[in-house]
Amino acid sequence: MSDLLDTNETAVEELGPRPGLAPGQTVWELLAAVSPRIKDNPNTYEAQQLNRVSLDQCVKCTICETMCPVAKVTPLFSGPKFVGPQAERFRNGESVDHTLDYCSSCGICTLNCPQDVKIAEINSMARAVMKKDHMPLRDRLITQTELEGRLLTPFAPVANWALKQKPIRVAVEKVVGVHRDAPMPVAQSQSIKGWLKHRKGPAPRRPGQPDRGPVVFFTGCAGTYFEVETSKKTIEVLEHLGFEVLVPKQGCCGLAEQSNGLFDSARKRVVKLCEQLNAAGKELTVISSSGSCAGMIKHEAHEIMGVDDPAVRSVGTRMRETSEFLLDLFDEDELPTDFKTLEMKIPYHAPCQVKSQGMGMPAIRLMELVPGIRVIESEENCCGIAGTYGLKKEKYDVAQAVGRNLFEKVKEHNEGLAVCDTETCRWQIRNSTGVSTVHPVHVIHAAYGLSDVFSPEV
Amino acid sequence: MRDVMVIGAGLSGLLAAIRLRQAGLSVALVHKGRGGLQLGQGTVDVLGYRPQRVARPLDELDEFLADQHRASDIAHPYAHTGADAIREGVGYLAELLGEDYLVGDAEVNVALPTAVGALRPTAYYPPSMADGVVSLDPAKPGALRAGSAVVVVGIREFKDFTPELIAGNLALNDLPGGGRLEARADWVSFPARDGEVDSTGLNIARALDDPARRGALVDQLKALGRPGETIALPAVLGHEDPTAFADLRSQVGSPLFEIPVPPPGVPGMRLNDRLTRIAKEARVEVFLGSNVLGADSAGGVLQAGVVGTTGHDTHLKARAFLLAAGGFESGTLELDSYQKVSETILGLPLAIPAGELIHDTWAGQQPLFSVGVATNDDMVVVDPATGEPVYSNLYAAGGVLAGAQRWDEKSGEGIAVASAVRAADAIISNLAGGQR
Repeated sequence: MSDLLDTNETAVEELGPRPGLAPGQTVWELLAAVSPRIKDNPNTYEAQQLNRVSLDQCVKCTICETMCPVAKVTPLFSGPKFVGPQAERFRNGESVDHTLDYCSSCGICTLNCPQDVKIAEINSMARAVMKKDHMPLRDRLITQTELEGRLLTPFAPVANWALKQKPIRVAVEKVVGVHRDAPMPVAQSQSIKGWLKHRKGPAPRRPGQPDRGPVVFFTGCAGTYFEVETSKKTIEVLEHLGFEVLVPKQGCCGLAEQSNGLFDSARKRVVKLCEQLNAAGKELTVISSSGSCAGMIKHEAHEIMGVDDPAVRSVGTRMRETSEFLLDLFDEDELPTDFKTLEMKIPYHAPCQVKSQGMGMPAIRLMELVPGIRVIESEENCCGIAGTYGLKKEKYDVAQAVGRNLFEKVKEHNEGLAVCDTETCRWQIRNSTGVSTVHPVHVIHAAYGLSDVFSPEV
Repeated sequence: MRDVMVIGAGLSGLLAAIRLRQAGLSVALVHKGRGGLQLGQGTVDVLGYRPQRVARPLDELDEFLADQHRASDIAHPYAHTGADAIREGVGYLAELLGEDYLVGDAEVNVALPTAVGALRPTAYYPPSMADGVVSLDPAKPGALRAGSAVVVVGIREFKDFTPELIAGNLALNDLPGGGRLEARADWVSFPARDGEVDSTGLNIARALDDPARRGALVDQLKALGRPGETIALPAVLGHEDPTAFADLRSQVGSPLFEIPVPPPGVPGMRLNDRLTRIAKEARVEVFLGSNVLGADSAGGVLQAGVVGTTGHDTHLKARAFLLAAGGFESGTLELDSYQKVSETILGLPLAIPAGELIHDTWAGQQPLFSVGVATNDDMVVVDPATGEPVYSNLYAAGGVLAGAQRWDEKSGEGIAVASAVRAADAIISNLAGGQR
C-alpha cells in the first residue's frame, strides 16, 4: 500500500494543491481530513478504497478458495473469494455475508493469489466493520496479551495449575467463551526482563569471534512472558556470533487486537512499540523470534489497518525474523557452520503468518545446515490456531480440523521434537500432539553446543 | 549466492527448477502466487490444430513451422526447441509424475470429450480420462469408437457440468474413422458435506478421497448404468488420494472416465500439487507470494533478482536466471491503453508483430497474443532488433515466449515443457563450464 500512497500522492501533486493538503501530508491524512467519517471510524468504506483497488485484478480463478484451510474443513465459511472479492462489490460498510466471521485471517488466500489481490486484507477490514458495534467481551480480553503475561508471571505455578483444572476451564468457557480444551501458554516464574536483569552479563562470544556491533531484539509478548526459553536462546546465539544484543523496554505489537478487529487500540500499540524499538537505535537491525509479530510490523499494520507512521515504516524495513537473519548471514558467508552433528528427523511447520512474509521458508535451509538434520515440512497451510481464533469456543472444532493433517504428520515423523516459528502455533501443536515443539533457534543453539537439543522447550 | 533463480511456478518454472536441482544446482523458485497449472485440465497439449486437427504432432511439426514462418516474422518457440526438446520435455514430465498421474504419447494425439461435448486433441492425459479416449490414429482403436455407448452423468449438487448439453453435442461429433458415439444423460446426487446443495468440484473430490464416502456414489452409478455403457463424470473423482479413481472404477465395474470442468480444476491441481511436492522434497527453495520487482545487473550480466519480501526488498543473487512467469494471463505482459505492450518484471524488449495487434473478429487469431520475449536456441533472451542476448545469463521459458497462439494451436504445455528442459539444459552446461 505504500506504493499506492506514494502513487496517489504524486497524482495529487500533479493535480495541483488541494485544500487541506499540506506539504508532506499523505493521502491517508488527506482522506481523514476531507472525510469526517474516516476520521471518526477508520474502518469505513473510504478507508478500504486503497485495498479495494486490487479487486479489479481478481479474475475469479478460485485459487484462493482451493487453498483456504478453513473452507476446506467447514461449510460454515463460504470461502475467501466468496466473502471477499465477490461480496465486496455489494458491501457498503456492512458485509453482506456474515460467514466472514469464520475467516481466521491466516492470509493464505493473499499469499497464493497470482493476481496480487489483497483478499485477506480486504476481509480483515470488512470484519472489523462488521464487529464494530458488537465486539464480544471475550475478544477484548484475549487480545490483552501483555496484560495476561504481567498478571500470570508472578503467580506462575498457581496459574499453570489453574489452567489445567477442568472445572475452572469449563467455567471460563461458559463465562468468557474460551474453549475448555484450547491450548494455553505455560506461565513462567521469570520473564525475559527478569532473566536479563539477573544474568551475569552477555554470553561469551565464540572463540576468535570479533565484535559485530549492536542489534535490537524484539521479544514479543509471548517471548517476554511465556516462551522465555526462545528469547534466551535467540539472545545467546546472537551473542555467540559476536553481536551486542540490545533489548529496549517494549510493549505489544497489537496483532491479537488487529486480527479481532480492534484496530484503534492496535494502531496505538504498534506505533508505540516501534517508537520504543527505535529508541535503541534508528539504523539497527531489529531481530524477532516471534514470527507473526514480525509480520505485523513488516506489513500487516500497514496493509490491514492503514498505519502510515514513520517509526513503524522504519522498524518494518529493518525487521528480520531470526531464521531469515541467520540465513542472510550464511548467504553472505558470515555464518559459522561448525555445527555439532544432530542425527534427527524434524517435522517443521511454517506458520501462515510467517509464510505470508514472502521470504520462503528460511528455517528449513537454516536447520539443514546442521549435519544430520532432515527437515520434514508439514505442507499444511495453517495449524488452525491463527493467533486467537482456535481459542474461541465456537471456532475450536474448526481450528482442530484445520490442524488435523499437521498433527498427524508431526506425530508420525517426530523423534522427540517438532519445530515451528510462532508461539501460539507451538501451543496448538504441543496441545494437540503432545510433542515438544520449539522455535528453529532452539536447534541452532544446540548445534552450536550451547545446550542439549532436548533442553526445556519453554 | 544461488546457482539459479527461477521466476514463476507454472508448468515450465516447476519443471525447470526440478531439472536444475536434480543436476545438483541450488535453485530459488520465486513466484507471486500459485502457478496456472492448477487451473488447467491436467492434460499435456503438444500441438492440436495447425489449423486442421493434428494427429501426429511431431511428424507434422516441420510443416506447421514452415507455415508459421511464412505467416509471421516472429519465430515460433518450437522453431527454437525442435521436436527433440518436446520429446525430452514431455517424457521427463511423465517420468517425474508417474503413470498414476499422466499417460499418453507425444507422437500421437488422442481426442477427449470436453465439458461442452466437443472432442479436444491432446497428447498426454491422466489415467482417469483413458476410458474416454477417441483415437486419432487409424492403426489404433481408442477406448471410445463408432457405436460406443456413453452415459454422461451429472451430479445434482455440482453446477458446472450439464450432462444433457454434453451428451447431446457428443453424439453429433463425426469420429475420425467415421461413425458417431451414442450418448445419453443422467443424474446422481452426492452432497459433498452436511447436505451441501451447491458444492465446488474440489469439495466433492475431497469427499471422495474418503473411501467410506465412495459407496454412495458407486451404488447410484451401478443402478443407472446399462450393459456395455461407458460412464462419464465431471473430473472430481478424488483429489489427494491417487488411488481414488481406480477404486471407484473397479467398484462400479464398468468403464469410467472424467471430463475436465472449469476451475477449480481438480486434474490440474493433482499435477500441480505433485510437481510442487517433488520440487520441495528435492530442496528447490520455494518463495511463494513474492513479487520480483526488478533485477541488478552489470556489464550485460544479471546479478540479483529484487524480491519484494515484506518490509524490505531482498536482492537474491544468482549465477543464472530463468523467466518463466507466463504472459498476459499472469500480468508478466501488459497492454496499456495506447496499445503499447511491456514486460513488467525486467522491462525486456519484446518481439511484436507488425500491423494491428487486436482486430474485431472474435473467433480468429489475435496477433497480440504472439507478443513475447525472443530467444535464441538456448532460450537465452535476445533483443529482437539485434538478435544479441539482453543479458548473457537470462533465459526464458513457457508463456512469456513470443511467436505462439497457444490456446488456438493447443500447444501451451508442449511449449512450456520443451522450452523448460531446453533452458535448464543450457544453464546446466553453461554453469558447469563457468566459475563457481
